[in-house]
Amino acid sequence: MNELIAVSTGLLAGTITGIVPGAGVMVAMIVASPLLMSFDVLQLLLFYMSLASMVQFTGTIPAVYLGVPGETNSLPAVIEGTKFNKRKMAKLAIGICAVGSVLGSLVAVVITYGLLSVLIEHMTVFFSNATKFYLYLFIIAFCLLVYNKKNILVNLSLCAVGFMLSVPGESDISSDFRYTFGIEDLQFGIPLIPVLIGFLIVPTIAKMFSSSNSNVFLPSIDIGFCKVIKYFRKKLVASSLRGSLIGYICGFVPGVSTVLSTNASYSFEKKLHPNNPGKLLVASETANNAGQFASMLPLLLIGIPITGSEIVLYSMLVDAGWSPYQFDNVTNNADMIFKQIVPWFVFANIVGLIVAWPLARKILNLFANSKKYMIVILSVGMLLLNTYLGILDYRVWLYTVCLIVFSCIGLLIKKYETVPLVFIFILGNDMEGVFIRQMLI
Amino acid sequence: MKNILIAFGIVVTVALLFVAVSKAETPERITIINSGKAGGSFNARTQMYKEGLTAAGYDVRYENVGKISQAVKMFKASDEPTIMVYANNQVYKQDLFHTENNFILAEYQQPLYVCRTNASKGKVTNLTVAHGKGFDPELLTTILGNNITLVPYKNSGAMLKGMLGGDVDMMVNNQGKSFKYIASGKGSCRPSTVLPMMVATVIGKNIDINRLRSILFDISTNTPFTEYHTTRKLVRPSSTWKQELTLVHELEKGYEIK
Repeated sequence: MNELIAVSTGLLAGTITGIVPGAGVMVAMIVASPLLMSFDVLQLLLFYMSLASMVQFTGTIPAVYLGVPGETNSLPAVIEGTKFNKRKMAKLAIGICAVGSVLGSLVAVVITYGLLSVLIEHMTVFFSNATKFYLYLFIIAFCLLVYNKKNILVNLSLCAVGFMLSVPGESDISSDFRYTFGIEDLQFGIPLIPVLIGFLIVPTIAKMFSSSNSNVFLPSIDIGFCKVIKYFRKKLVASSLRGSLIGYICGFVPGVSTVLSTNASYSFEKKLHPNNPGKLLVASETANNAGQFASMLPLLLIGIPITGSEIVLYSMLVDAGWSPYQFDNVTNNADMIFKQIVPWFVFANIVGLIVAWPLARKILNLFANSKKYMIVILSVGMLLLNTYLGILDYRVWLYTVCLIVFSCIGLLIKKYETVPLVFIFILGNDMEGVFIRQMLI
Repeated sequence: MKNILIAFGIVVTVALLFVAVSKAETPERITIINSGKAGGSFNARTQMYKEGLTAAGYDVRYENVGKISQAVKMFKASDEPTIMVYANNQVYKQDLFHTENNFILAEYQQPLYVCRTNASKGKVTNLTVAHGKGFDPELLTTILGNNITLVPYKNSGAMLKGMLGGDVDMMVNNQGKSFKYIASGKGSCRPSTVLPMMVATVIGKNIDINRLRSILFDISTNTPFTEYHTTRKLVRPSSTWKQELTLVHELEKGYEIK
């Protein structure tokens, strides 16, 4: 019963988090922390796993319909999903993503089961600087060659701006505070949420206001679930399996995990099928779920959190009495994963599949019938989210100033895809450390 | 008129009684700032004091910041009775020093550990050494020799991952992460006798230092302190406030950023 409560609340929180643009798993964990204080270790793990799984399903909905990423790893879904929306096929996009997500999760479970002993032995390979270094090179190439009609100059400029925004504050490799201009709050760097809102969400909302825009809130052709399955089985299984494998491997990379999973899988598929949005969408979304499962394994097996949201979870687990001293308990931990976590993980994915479909329909109807109200609600919601997170981070004024400045710049450059900027901003600090260490080692 | 005066007198008496009773029942409020990440000793120690102070009847306001730089900022800005778990290796970086006005007690000393991978045994030249960004590179090369390459990492957790991932041959890390590394079976660690000691402290402001020292002393002496690797009681370096403060001042110098 306790497990069911944890999974149900996790699924509910995941549903809400997914459809609120900009809110991620970490934010959801922080917001839900008063509730989670009464949870035991297993309940916390199940809550987190259900939340993180559900977000992958529902995060696709705003990405496809609104062109707004629910999470940073929904960016490929934004790019390819909106193409479906333009063709009035949004429901098909949501459907294939949901089916692909379930497949990705199941593939991840099967790989883990099959390769458990190898994984335990070699998991630390993913912690090496060299692994991260080559993956970062791949990401930079991806940012330069994929976006803005492959205009390298534009992409390079966006990457440079993203990197410059990541520089102020404390460096990852030195104790100095850089480029803070005497502003104490800048010691902690430029906050992520105003960057996401200013450079990604505000331009999207502005496009929605544009009367000439015909790309959002389009009525979607009603496609039955069986047809989606048939379409998926016929055309998308191979892409989905490729995505699962790439996503699973990338999921182990500390810090970037599912962001890397989705984008690596997306760019690989783009090489194979550059003009097939269905394959591209499914490959990235499948990778997302496979990566999500993989990213939890270092924490569950050897007690090392590798993503921001896992660090929050880890804190709660320790408070609940979990021992992070795990190296000599790897076999017991593996037993726990397969006996107590995996069944609920599969359950959460099936619920995700069932819920994402009707939820998408409801949201579509809601948005289509009250476009202007939804835009206002979305804008106010973003402002409240920014303020709330600013308060939680004890630097609300910086969040507000950044939001205003970045939103203005975002509006000025709205004709460009700003994904490379956001990508390099998120990874910039870690990337710098990895590159410098790679030169030293 | 008489009745009005009597009624007024009753009202005033009742009001005064109410204020006195409510004041007597209101527990003393104190803010405790958690500056440590989960699994770390700062976090574990803060939890210990939070529970101890609550049990002692305090109304504890717990600020779970989880990041030392932001916690220090909050501590500096606080106008209310506030305490925070701290250490001598942070003072220069955070620009917050132990003083007579904020020092409450020193809990324990902890050596830094030098760990080495099994794979690098026998290697004598070109050793790569992972270190945290707060360390003084000059000091490390003086101690470990000139024939090493220092590789900076963000924090103790990142260093541990780097060692496990095979990036470097050695690392200089704290006790918790070093014990975790030993448990992995991939290498060995030994406490350094030459690197500066880390001394864990508690600091506070807007408080009666002597009274709080006595309460925190009892909490930390009576409560088993669970860290990563073991359950243990805190052992103080000395017994008097003055001696502890002198020792902390002395050990602070080991972390002066050159």
